Amino acid sequence: MNLFNRRAFIKAAIAAAPASAFLTLPNNAHAGRKASVVVVGGGFGGATAAKYLKKMDPALDVTLVERQKTYTSCPLSNEILTGHGKIEDLQAGYDGLAKRGVKVMFDDAVGIDAAAKTVKLKSGTTLKYDALVLSPGIDFNYGAVEGYSEHLANTSHPHAWKAGPQTLALKKQIEAIPDGGVFVLSVPPKPFRCPPGPYERASLVASYFKHHGKHKSKVLILDANDSFSKKGLFEQAWKMHYGGMIQWVPGAEGGKVTKMDAKSNTAFTDFGEYKADVLNIIPPHHAGAIAKNAGLANAQGWCEVDMLTMESAVQKDIWVIGDACIHGDLPVYDAPKSAHIANTQAKVAAAAIIAKLNGVPAPEPFFVNTCYSTVADDWGFSVVHIYRVEGGKLVYIKEAGGISPITMADEAQLKLQRKLESRYVVGWFKNIMADAFA
Amino acid sequence: MKQRTLLAAIGLIAAGAIQAAGTHAADAKTESLANTCNACHGMNGVSVGPNMPSIGGLSESYLYAVMQQWKNGERYSATMGRHFKGYSDQELDAIAKYFSQLPWVPVVQNADAKTLARGKEASERCETCHGATGGAPDDADTPRINGQWAEYMHLEMLKYRTDTVKMPHRKMRGNTKKLDEADLEPVARHYAAQPK
Repeated sequence: MNLFNRRAFIKAAIAAAPASAFLTLPNNAHAGRKASVVVVGGGFGGATAAKYLKKMDPALDVTLVERQKTYTSCPLSNEILTGHGKIEDLQAGYDGLAKRGVKVMFDDAVGIDAAAKTVKLKSGTTLKYDALVLSPGIDFNYGAVEGYSEHLANTSHPHAWKAGPQTLALKKQIEAIPDGGVFVLSVPPKPFRCPPGPYERASLVASYFKHHGKHKSKVLILDANDSFSKKGLFEQAWKMHYGGMIQWVPGAEGGKVTKMDAKSNTAFTDFGEYKADVLNIIPPHHAGAIAKNAGLANAQGWCEVDMLTMESAVQKDIWVIGDACIHGDLPVYDAPKSAHIANTQAKVAAAAIIAKLNGVPAPEPFFVNTCYSTVADDWGFSVVHIYRVEGGKLVYIKEAGGISPITMADEAQLKLQRKLESRYVVGWFKNIMADAFA
Repeated sequence: MKQRTLLAAIGLIAAGAIQAAGTHAADAKTESLANTCNACHGMNGVSVGPNMPSIGGLSESYLYAVMQQWKNGERYSATMGRHFKGYSDQELDAIAKYFSQLPWVPVVQNADAKTLARGKEASERCETCHGATGGAPDDADTPRINGQWAEYMHLEMLKYRTDTVKMPHRKMRGNTKKLDEADLEPVARHYAAQPK
């Protein structure tokens, strides 16, 4: 039995409402026809939202619009880049959601008419919605790095910040680096998808060098920022495992890449130029184009939402989740753009949508983040965030969460801690993929 | 008379409905809370990841005790302690109740006969509390481990075997430390392979 069927939900909502409300049925504006929810984007956010909408209310008409028939996870794609596992292990299709009654349309959402409550698809179809979930992920601002372009990203200079063909293209380039060659990684100004991701990538590329006889090779991180996620943990690991192989140049010391030259494989900053064997530019990004074009993004390119519900702050009946939204008014490392946050946002949005369609208040939202990084064999660590919404504001519970301990009582304990978390990545990944797609 | 019976019946139904609604009122919040666990522990507490334990169908007292121990720092964890410090005792209670009411679904993992035989033999000392198959533990404070994930159990035993790591169960520490290191995996595999 589904413990959280619609009736139970309504009952619960009624029970939570003032006593007088108990005598009247909830104001369901959609009596007589099924309410329609359209979900745009089938990544960790959108797929989870579609699934939980259907799970929480099987009577809902849920349509998922997604461009690609196969999804490739960004989490764990740095492992693929450096020869650990196959890309197929990171992929999922949409049959699981279809079996749950989600209508899956492989199409491209090209426009939203918020007044008419419709979404226009590339194929010409127009979908009408009562509630719209946007989980469009990110799009790139290639223009921010002079000389870089989408064409270069798809050919000679993959950023691989969306997993898929570019991951495999970059993998080949890493494999071809000669001993003594340099991998240059350019990190965009925050906020960006997966805050520890660039530093994990740097670590695993160094690991690849170490294990493939390229001991004289180096990784150079040119960073637009002056600090980074899990910095102490990464620096400890670099010293222990890759002494001298990884160099980090912060923004204040000229780390921000403003220009690149594809022919000579050179990155330019205000302070100098860096010649690479492989030049991996992660361009700055912003909310997916569909959300931006619908006017849902702020000047920085991200979508503000009501953290009680994930409903857009500028447009009612549109919920924005995943990397495209701003996860509360918090410092950037307290609100990472991660798969796990997208997962919990999706569930909060699903519950809030069903509540709104039934004319009852949304249940208390719960947001969690667990974000693992693997940096060497048996060496992993994490950051945890637990959130509450207090007085309409998202709060990060400081007593909980935080990064894995940097130092511990003795070496045995530290090794155990790092080993456990290096393994947990895999269990986490399998479960969160199943939570979204199965 | 008939009417009075009917009224009484309606009264009972109404009382039942209120009670049901009351029970479910806890459920709406608990369901939201519990949904956050699914990302790592699987739908309905049945994990599909080899080192994340299944939690659906474990006893309420075990689940509550473990979460409290993590929250209070009485039990070492690599990750979970950082989670539970963010939840109230009432919330932990609700989570424990919720998952304990789900069925225990063993994920039976096969292993080669030699490993299983070795595991069965080496797990004799585990039997006293966990039972021969792990499916019928001695008391509610001992978790079921039949069809639990082998890698998870192996890693848990490593915690007990690391002296400076704080673990609450003296007997468990003593017994895991008595195991030969090479027996850890077979023991885990033995219990992971049990359907009941």
